[in-house]
Amino acid sequence: MRQGMAILGLALVAVVLGAGQLLAAGEEIYQIEQGFKPIPAIIMLATMGVYIGVGFLSKVSSTSGYWVAGQGIGKYGNGAAIASDWMSAASFMGVAGLLYLKGWFGLGYIIGWTGGYVLLLVLLAAQIRRFGKYTIPEFLGDRYDCHSVRLIAAAVTVIIAITYSTAQFKGIGLICGWIFGMSYTSSVFFAAGVVCAYMLISGMTGVTRNQQIQYVVLISAFLIPLWFLVKKAGGAGILPQLEYGKIISGLMEGKVASGLLTGEELAAASKIYLPWGTGGNIYQFVALVFTLMVGTAGLPHIMIRFYTVKNEDVARKSVLWGLFFIGLLYWSSPVYAAMGKFWNPLGGKEVADVIILSAPELAGLGQAFLGYLAAGALAAGISTVAGLLIAGASAVAHDWYATIFRPDSTDRQQLFVGRIFTAVLCGIVVITALNPPALIAQIVAMAFAIAGNTIFPACVLGVWYSKANKYGALAGMVFGLSMSLIAMGGWMLKSPFFSDSGIMPATSSALIVCPLAFLINILVSNITAHKISDESADRSDNILRRLHNLPGAVTEAPNKKSAFGH
Amino acid sequence: MATRERIEVNFFTPSTPNMRAETRIAKIILTIWLGLSFGLPLLIWAAGLGDPSGLGRSFFTESRFLGFPLHYWLIAQGCTIGYVLLCKLYCVLWDQKVKKR
Repeated sequence: MRQGMAILGLALVAVVLGAGQLLAAGEEIYQIEQGFKPIPAIIMLATMGVYIGVGFLSKVSSTSGYWVAGQGIGKYGNGAAIASDWMSAASFMGVAGLLYLKGWFGLGYIIGWTGGYVLLLVLLAAQIRRFGKYTIPEFLGDRYDCHSVRLIAAAVTVIIAITYSTAQFKGIGLICGWIFGMSYTSSVFFAAGVVCAYMLISGMTGVTRNQQIQYVVLISAFLIPLWFLVKKAGGAGILPQLEYGKIISGLMEGKVASGLLTGEELAAASKIYLPWGTGGNIYQFVALVFTLMVGTAGLPHIMIRFYTVKNEDVARKSVLWGLFFIGLLYWSSPVYAAMGKFWNPLGGKEVADVIILSAPELAGLGQAFLGYLAAGALAAGISTVAGLLIAGASAVAHDWYATIFRPDSTDRQQLFVGRIFTAVLCGIVVITALNPPALIAQIVAMAFAIAGNTIFPACVLGVWYSKANKYGALAGMVFGLSMSLIAMGGWMLKSPFFSDSGIMPATSSALIVCPLAFLINILVSNITAHKISDESADRSDNILRRLHNLPGAVTEAPNKKSAFGH
Repeated sequence: MATRERIEVNFFTPSTPNMRAETRIAKIILTIWLGLSFGLPLLIWAAGLGDPSGLGRSFFTESRFLGFPLHYWLIAQGCTIGYVLLCKLYCVLWDQKVKKR
């Protein structure tokens, strides 16, 4: 068996090497062709069909099924769903490019995006599951016993959902254009149609099942080319994630595919892998890492995943698996970046943008694999869009309509309204995606700062500080949100204070703002402690009892319970 | 609902044995997390202060580990593998806590 594999492996190497010699190293292998490609197109359409079929098979008929999948998802399943919620078209295609351009400094994104899950796990995951309801605005609104807190959290959730999904369509459009030769407009309708179809039928149950399938598709499509690429670059092709170390060490000495670099080229190629070779400094690195971490731990569509699991034990273990599944991608992205450098050490943004899409061609994997990779990238895009839309729609339909506007509505009405708002939100996303306002890119870049400055402090203090009250939460959230927006404005006006090399870079503002938001919440809560009525404090205490498994927690009044009944 | 005694939750002064056990685990994990996320980059930065070109060349960038430049491996894989292990450690400590009670 082993021998057979070895021979097969050797044969593959021979084929790959043979194909490799036809292509000269350089720009030309980093180009992608537009236009209809029949085999990849069939593969892509087949995977889309599977998603809709799965959605149809997981049809739901209750609000709990629609918003939180009936709270019956297991640890591997939820882990995979966390991972594919997380891995957007941008992280599928963009992170390798980012690392290609930013070298060592770019690794800050990787540790920021993975380290945030540790914070989430340790400080929030289990407690949020014990709370047991459906959304983050609901958690904040109930804990602080305040509808304004609920509405701010819901507004932030919706803004992040819309802008983030809009940004996904950039990647989706690129893929559809590449495989089907579609225009950007038709790609938007195509992808939105697929997402909307299975979401409306199945709600969170179908979204979660699909996300599990999508994870398998996207990660396998992402990993397979690596073995071929590493072999082609002269490695043994056993574990690319370890073998690319030699290539990076070689790059620092100027060893590339075309030979040995010298003089200025050598300096440019080796500089990028030195800590500050791409212009950053330690403050910017730490600020970036911190912001991405608290942002990750504060993103509502990530936190919502802890409501979908069976119990808090599964909530904890699913973070472990989710992080491992995300890790598989982030251990591999740098390999692509290093390969890019190896074949094209001095390329710019054009090379960085298509590193992933051009990989199968470079690895000599053929047309069918091209389709699979595209299906993987598309899976990454639409799984993120689906997770975001569910989070955004639940913020409107559940937190505003069912809780504030019509608290006495029935389960059936709420489900209907949930579907309507999901469709409305999908429509809004389609419109903004077709005609993206210039602001979108900025807000997406700021999303981590906004979530980390607004949602994260309110959630952590809500769980771990019983004195935190509605006034403190409001003050902290308003401060966090407005500082993020001011920073964004300053950044757009190119104020040096908020620029990438400034004192408070807008995209990394949480290092300064987040601790202040904590402080303001604590201070204001202590000053206003006497203003809280006994009834209100009782309600907050009741939530805290539930969060920490303290004795004496009571479920709400029966009239409210029937509205949320399972 | 009748007025009851206010409950007290504070991460740094946990009020019940169960909460104390929970925050003890959380503190262990967060300390290691802090070291990985910020300690390591600061170490690499401090070691590179001596480089006159300002690019941060140091012992870390010159040494090799598993074929990688050490400073690259520590962040790209050391940290991220560390986070996954931290999550595992958290789950293990938690299960131990549950068993003890």
